[in-house]
Amino acid sequence: MKARMLATRVALPVLAIAAVSAQARAAEFDWMKFKGKTVTFLANNNPVSQALLTYKADFEKLTGMTLKVDGYQEQQMRQRLVTVMNANSDEVDVFMTLPSREGEQFAAAGWYGDLTAMAKNEVAKDYDPAGLSQALLKAATFGGKLTSMPMNIEGPIFYYRTDIFKKCGLEAPKTIKDVEAAAEKIKTCDSTVTPFVSRGLKPAIAYTFSNMLHNIGGTYIASGKSSLCSAKGKEALDTYSRLLRDFGPPGVVNYSFQQISALYRGGRAAMAFESSNELRTVMEGGARLKDTGLLPFPAGEAGQVPTTIGWGMAVSSHSKQPDAAWYFVQWATSPEVQKKMALQGIAPPRPSVAKDPEYRKWIDEEPVRKEWQAALDVLATKGSSEVGYPIVANPQSREFIGQAVQDLILKQKTVDQACADADKALDALIALN
Amino acid sequence: MSDTAATLTQDRQKLEMAALSAPAVIFTIAMIAFPVVYTIWLGFQTFSSTGKQTFAGLANYTKLMSDVEFWHGLWITIALFVLSLVLQLVFGVWLALVLFHAKRLPGIVRSLFISPFMMPPVVAGMMWLVILDPSLGAANYILQSLGLPPSDWLASPTWVIPTVALIDSWQWTPYVALIVLGGLQSLPPSVYEAAQIDGASAFKTFQRITLPLLLPTIVTAAILRSVDLLRFFDIIYITTQGGPGNASNTLNIYGFRVGFEFFNIGYASALMLTLTAIVFGAVLAFNRLRGAVAW
Repeated sequence: MKARMLATRVALPVLAIAAVSAQARAAEFDWMKFKGKTVTFLANNNPVSQALLTYKADFEKLTGMTLKVDGYQEQQMRQRLVTVMNANSDEVDVFMTLPSREGEQFAAAGWYGDLTAMAKNEVAKDYDPAGLSQALLKAATFGGKLTSMPMNIEGPIFYYRTDIFKKCGLEAPKTIKDVEAAAEKIKTCDSTVTPFVSRGLKPAIAYTFSNMLHNIGGTYIASGKSSLCSAKGKEALDTYSRLLRDFGPPGVVNYSFQQISALYRGGRAAMAFESSNELRTVMEGGARLKDTGLLPFPAGEAGQVPTTIGWGMAVSSHSKQPDAAWYFVQWATSPEVQKKMALQGIAPPRPSVAKDPEYRKWIDEEPVRKEWQAALDVLATKGSSEVGYPIVANPQSREFIGQAVQDLILKQKTVDQACADADKALDALIALN
Repeated sequence: MSDTAATLTQDRQKLEMAALSAPAVIFTIAMIAFPVVYTIWLGFQTFSSTGKQTFAGLANYTKLMSDVEFWHGLWITIALFVLSLVLQLVFGVWLALVLFHAKRLPGIVRSLFISPFMMPPVVAGMMWLVILDPSLGAANYILQSLGLPPSDWLASPTWVIPTVALIDSWQWTPYVALIVLGGLQSLPPSVYEAAQIDGASAFKTFQRITLPLLLPTIVTAAILRSVDLLRFFDIIYITTQGGPGNASNTLNIYGFRVGFEFFNIGYASALMLTLTAIVFGAVLAFNRLRGAVAW
């Protein structure tokens, strides 16, 4: 009774005051507050930033600020960031980051500015921070600090050729075992195509392999130790590498998204397990528009646990103008801009944008886009952002996962040897955490 | 003006010249020395994966001695160096001889012969990556059209080093040829005339006259290529990123990954300084060889 009274008489008025003051702050919000300043944005030159920067002039007009873009390919961007941050330089105000990969590491190094208060207090009326994917916000929160705002939602999905499946008398696969059976059948039914392709390049493997491991029911760490040698871990290693070795293209150990998209788009692969972001590339030229089906990766013993990640925008902890930098982050992750990006094929990290009539109209124009959105809906609701080991040295952990898979693809080790060697190296990494 | 006064004026002029040029000299020395000194200093630090830095003395160098990846990287670096250098010197001399004797070759053809080394290595790497793709590339298509078995090229742990050496040789053999061609053009004609009078065959002339006289030029080309080959990075980074597995993980690639992907800048600095010492060692050895073959 006392508790209820306390809630009624104290907590509710406090919440009401807080809500009113937040509304008041939103009403006072002035996009021109930092007019004349220059914000430097370190960008990964990928489709997400390319779509965003189409509207660079809109940001400059809205805020009166100048946006200086420092764009590189992904790895070169990280290289530049490491140099800048190790020098405690304020050259970069905002940078793109993958929380699933480097989040723990950058947070522990203190490279992220804390966005928690700004995302609550310094927001325009229509920003709606609660409308962003809560899973992605959670994945970007380290030690209670919000470190980046999501720009998109993505994950590996399963592309398959409906015409080849029909010709070979196959149904859309529901389980991993169905994928293996389909690959086996396609190998004899249509020898002109590669039955299955996914990532085989060492550092890129963890992105797709994690989905398979989780679907099978495996985990990377159990009781503080690496568990690739658990029964589920070994099953995942064996299945993933066998699919690529027996049904993948020659040279698959050098395959990442570029090669996979080129192979599938060229009509030379029947099934491809690749990023949802690649839809636009795969559909270029229109050859695959009418004969492609899309699904989240088929279920294993643990059902479907898709990998769901997203690029985020972070403010550098060394920035001398974090408030102005936040204005850029806020604009870039606002519903209005994310809707514009969505119409360019960048999956929005906001359910409200995904339901927007204009976006729905774009989706409804092609059946393959509907399937793409349906797969992304599953990713958004069931997804796990664990790509590689959830430790500070996550990028290094991906090397050892990739090494184990490559050793099996190239038949250089048995499953027991490959997982044991990987576990040994990974336990050493976990111990450093 | 007395002698003493003249000397004083000269000394003053020297001082003024030294003072005026000092800022430029100091700036140049600082620009060269600072990165080296800074890297040496970094080599004595350890960086945790969170970026925390501590003084470690020689720990990075001790670790290096027991690091399997370091020794593997060194072996790959040396294998690639030897294979590429031999290919480039042999074919470079051959190409230079062709260009030297084919005096009526149109300028455009000569330009085409030497054009690969003008191409940025990243572009060359991308181009060969596409050509050598076992599924989509032209290389296997040509092999199969000739009734030969296809190859995995860059995707084979066995063939990746010879393949990378071939790509690098395709690009840099013309550069070696250009240096050797310069050497050929400066050889004294009187020696050849004497050989002709003595009835020496073309092969004997090459073996006994051209090659010995060209050796200093060839060693110069070897020195220039050695520096690049021991620091081999760009083509591997574009085509294999050190794979498959670790089959093409040269010391430079390994150091880059340790520094910029795993953020262990201290250990990466130690690796790179060791590589620099190896490059210096190779250059010194070749310099001695050049001294020995000079004429």
